[in-house]
Amino acid sequence: MIDLNEISKTYKRPSGELVVALSDISLHIERGEFVAVVGASGSGKSTLMNIIGLLDLATAGRYSWNGENVTTLDPNRQAEMRNKKIGFVFQAFHLLSRTTALENVELPLLYSDRRSIKDLGRRALEAVNLTNRIHHRPSELSGGEQQRVAIARALVNEPDLLLADEPTGNLDRTSALEVISIFQSLNRAGRTIVLITHDQEISSFANRIVRLERGHMVRDQRAVETRAITQEEQ
Amino acid sequence: MKNGRLAKHSLRMMGRYKLRTGFMMLGSVIAIAALTFVVSLGQSAERKILKTVSQMFGDSGIVIHDGGGEMMGGPHGPGTRLKIDDIAAIARELPGVEAWDPMQTITAPVRHGDSADNVLVRGESERWPLVWNRTASRGDLFDETAVTGSARVAIIGESVARELFGNDDPVGADIQIGAVPFKVIGTLEPWGTDPHGMDRDNEVIVPISTLMRRLTNVDTISAAKLVVTDRARSDEMKTEMKRILRERHGLLAGQPNDFSIITATEIRRMVGQVQRVLFFYLPLVAAIALVVGGIVSASLMLVSMNERVAEIGLRRAIGARSQDIRLQFLLETTLTMLAGGVAGVALGYAVAHLGASRMHLDGVNPWMASLLGVLASSLVGLLAGVLPALRAAHLHPADALR
Repeated sequence: MIDLNEISKTYKRPSGELVVALSDISLHIERGEFVAVVGASGSGKSTLMNIIGLLDLATAGRYSWNGENVTTLDPNRQAEMRNKKIGFVFQAFHLLSRTTALENVELPLLYSDRRSIKDLGRRALEAVNLTNRIHHRPSELSGGEQQRVAIARALVNEPDLLLADEPTGNLDRTSALEVISIFQSLNRAGRTIVLITHDQEISSFANRIVRLERGHMVRDQRAVETRAITQEEQ
Repeated sequence: MKNGRLAKHSLRMMGRYKLRTGFMMLGSVIAIAALTFVVSLGQSAERKILKTVSQMFGDSGIVIHDGGGEMMGGPHGPGTRLKIDDIAAIARELPGVEAWDPMQTITAPVRHGDSADNVLVRGESERWPLVWNRTASRGDLFDETAVTGSARVAIIGESVARELFGNDDPVGADIQIGAVPFKVIGTLEPWGTDPHGMDRDNEVIVPISTLMRRLTNVDTISAAKLVVTDRARSDEMKTEMKRILRERHGLLAGQPNDFSIITATEIRRMVGQVQRVLFFYLPLVAAIALVVGGIVSASLMLVSMNERVAEIGLRRAIGARSQDIRLQFLLETTLTMLAGGVAGVALGYAVAHLGASRMHLDGVNPWMASLLGVLASSLVGLLAGVLPALRAAHLHPADALR
C-alpha cells in the first residue's frame, strides 16, 4: 500500500546550515500491517511520519500510495488524501478544548465531501467504547479517554491508514495499554497502522518494528508472533 | 455543503469562546453605535431644520427684521424704526407681494384665575394664518375688524391652555395679559419647538394694534413676513425692498441698514451648508471609529490566531485545505464584526432616540443607519479578517503541529 523509495529529507536552518533529517529510507508497508517506527529523539521518526502522512514533502526519493505517485502532490490533493485515507493520532491529543467528544470526533467530516455524516461520529466513539462520554468536554475526560476520542476522530472517515505519533507518550501505563489494545483490535479488523514511538515496550505490540538512527533506517524486523496484552497487564 | 458545515461550525466555535468573541465585538459595537447615533440623529436634526424652515419661511417667504445686520443671528443695530407703514409701502410699490404680516412681540405674564404663566405674546395682523401657514385648532381666528378696532381677543397656544386651564376648554374664557383683560377666542394649531429650542405652543397671538396700543405702547414693529408670488425673483425683490426701506428711513449712502432682510432662498442655502456638514463630517467621525474598531478586531484575531496554531495544524492534518482555514478565519471575524454591528445599531439607535427626545427632535429613523452599520461592520470585519486569515492559511501543517 505504502511504498517509500530512497526517501530523503533535508532542512535548511535559518543560519543556512543543512540538516539531513532522513536519508535514503526505503520502506514498503502492506495493507493490514501494524508497524512500529522506533528510535531516539532526533532520529527522524516524526519527519518520517510527516512524509507518510502527507504533512510534509520529501526532498528526494519517491513515495507511492497504492501505486500512485504522491511524492509531489499539490497541497489540495494532499489535504484530500489526509482527510479520506489517513487518520492521525497525536501525543498531545489535539482535541478542541471547548468542544464535546462527539464534536471533536466529527471534525474531519467538516472537510469531507460526504453527503450524509449523520451517526458517523457516534459510531466511531462506539468503536473506542466511549458512548457514555459523548457530550463530555476534553477537560472532563481522563488522558486515556481523551486519546480514545482522538482515535475515534482518526477513524471517523474510515481511513486506510492510522498514523499515530507517540500516542501513549502522555499516558500512564494502564491507559497506554488500553490505547494499544484498541490499535491491536483495529489491526485485527484489517486496519493498517503505523505507530511512532520511542518506547521499546509499546513497539513490541506491533507486528513489525522499523528502527531509525540519525535519519537512517537501521533495522526492519517482523515479529514472529504479535505480543498480546495479558489480563494482568490490563 | 462543505462551506455550509464550516459556517455553522464557525458560529458554534464563536459561541464557545464568548470572551474572545465579546472583546472582538466590542470595537465594532462602539463604532457602529457611533455611526448609527450620528447618522440617525443627523437625519432627524436635518428633517427638523428643514421642517422648521418651511414652517417659518414657506416656499417664498421674505422676513424683514428691525435692526441692522444681514443674516439671522448676526449683530442687529439699534434700530427701532421699522413701521407697519414701511411694509405697507413695500406691498404697494412692489408688484408680486402676495400677502404680508407685521409682528411685534412682548413677554408678559398671562393669568387665568389663580394660574399664571410667563409667555411670549405676538401681535399680528388678521393675515397671519395665511402668511405663517398656521391656524386655530379650536375656536375662531380674529378678523380685520378686530385689528382695526384693537379688540382684546387672544388665540392661545396648547401649552398655555394646558398651564392655565388644565383639561377645561379655554375658548370663551377670560384671561389677563399683563394688566389687560382679553377674551380667548381660539387655540393655536400645535407647532412644537423652534430651532432655538423655544416652545412655540407657549405663546399667545393678539391683534397687533391691541398689542401696540395696550401692551407695549410703541408704534414700531419687530419684524414682518412677506409672501411673494415668484420665488425665483426673491433676490431681486430683496434689493428693491432694501431700496424702499432706505429711502423711507432717510439713510444716506454709506450709512448701514437699520433693518435686515432674509429670504427663503438664503435660508435654503444656509441649510444646504448645514446638510453638507451633517452628511460629510459626521459620518467621517463614525468612519474613523470604525477603522479603529477594525484595527482592534484585526489585532485580537491575530493574537488569537497565534494561540490557535496547534488547532490550525490539527485541522490541516485532518484534511482542511488552506482555503478552508482562510474561510474559517474570515467567517469568524466577519460574523463577529457583523454581530457587533447589529448590537451597535441597537445601542446607537437607543442613544439617538434618547438624544432626539431630549433635543425635541422627531423620532429617529433607524433604517438608513442600520443598513449602513450592517454593511460597514461586515466590510470592516472582512478587511480585518484578511491578514489573520492569510497568515493562518499559510501555516505549514507539520510546523503548526510541532
